[in-house]
Amino acid sequence: MDIKDLNDLRTEFENLQNNDMLNDCEDGSCMSDGPSREDYPDYLAAIFTEIMPPIKSGIYFSRWDLKRMAGELDESFALDVRERMFQKFMQWVGTPDDMQNVIEQFNNNINAKCDKYREYSKKYPSTKEIFDKKLKKAESSKKYLDKVYTEFFT
Amino acid sequence: MQEDLKTEQIARANIYALISRLLMNEVDESLLKLINEDENILSFFPNFEKWKKRISMTPKDLIEKELNVDFTNLFLLHLIPYESFYMRADQQMETGGDNPIQTIYDTFDFQVQLDEARVMSADHIGVELEFMFKLVEAQTKALNDDALEVAAEIAGIQYNFLKDHLLEWAPMFLLNVKLEAGTALYFDAAELALEFMMSDFEYLTHLQTTTIVDEKVEERA
Repeated sequence: MDIKDLNDLRTEFENLQNNDMLNDCEDGSCMSDGPSREDYPDYLAAIFTEIMPPIKSGIYFSRWDLKRMAGELDESFALDVRERMFQKFMQWVGTPDDMQNVIEQFNNNINAKCDKYREYSKKYPSTKEIFDKKLKKAESSKKYLDKVYTEFFT
Repeated sequence: MQEDLKTEQIARANIYALISRLLMNEVDESLLKLINEDENILSFFPNFEKWKKRISMTPKDLIEKELNVDFTNLFLLHLIPYESFYMRADQQMETGGDNPIQTIYDTFDFQVQLDEARVMSADHIGVELEFMFKLVEAQTKALNDDALEVAAEIAGIQYNFLKDHLLEWAPMFLLNVKLEAGTALYFDAAELALEFMMSDFEYLTHLQTTTIVDEKVEERA
């Protein structure tokens, strides 16, 4: 086997590898599953920066949403500036179980809104691309909430 | 065919004007009268049509004790009807001249009197819907002048504005308006705005596709 044969073999192998990678990626599974997430010093900063902005999570958590989510956990606070309401809600968390309950409330809100996104994209197929982006962000946010729990509460 | 197209544009312009007005400012007696007395318009508000208070209260009381209170809660106090909040990672509104929406308006010479509209910035949902209304109006004028290429171009601008702006954020806001509305009128207004924008996007997508196909057929001919 001379050098030329070796080079041909290498090229063939690289092509094969590239094809495999492309095939693996057909379903998008090799891509990052959402926006990049940074590390934060505490769970409050992590959730406020990564989940609360609609541009990142695909979901708008309003003041009323926060009040209702807290209400589900028998916690009550007045309607106030959104960031302050979020802080009060987070300060209620005292144990890992509390955090699990808070995450469950976030997930319920996300799921309810995602159901509407799916309904709309089915009814108006041209909007599918728009709502699919939001659904992807929302799914990524749910995973991120689990990550926050693991990082800060276990 | 072109007459149908013109009629469609007039209907679209009317709905954009109506939802823009409803979501921008409080209802006044003349708007309430228009909704109550025009069967076609009233049919867009099925829950409001059946709402007992619509009949039992005087227009003045209905506005002052119910509708204005709800409008204030939904649009001024507790929910955020501005695009920049939904598009920025810092969850802030862009109230200055750097608002990207203002740049789009400037390109098309669409002038917003913020103080007159009583909104904080040009990316308020009511203003963006009014921009759509103006574009549909311009499209209708182009059709009346037989300027078909110009009309198609304006339809393309509408398509892009819905796709890149209104539909990117307004559904998130309007879903919450529907959740929190305390009166049948604002529940229905949010539903109407949502459904209309999405069905209009279907319409514009179809229009885009047929225009492109027509152009290709013409090229081949």
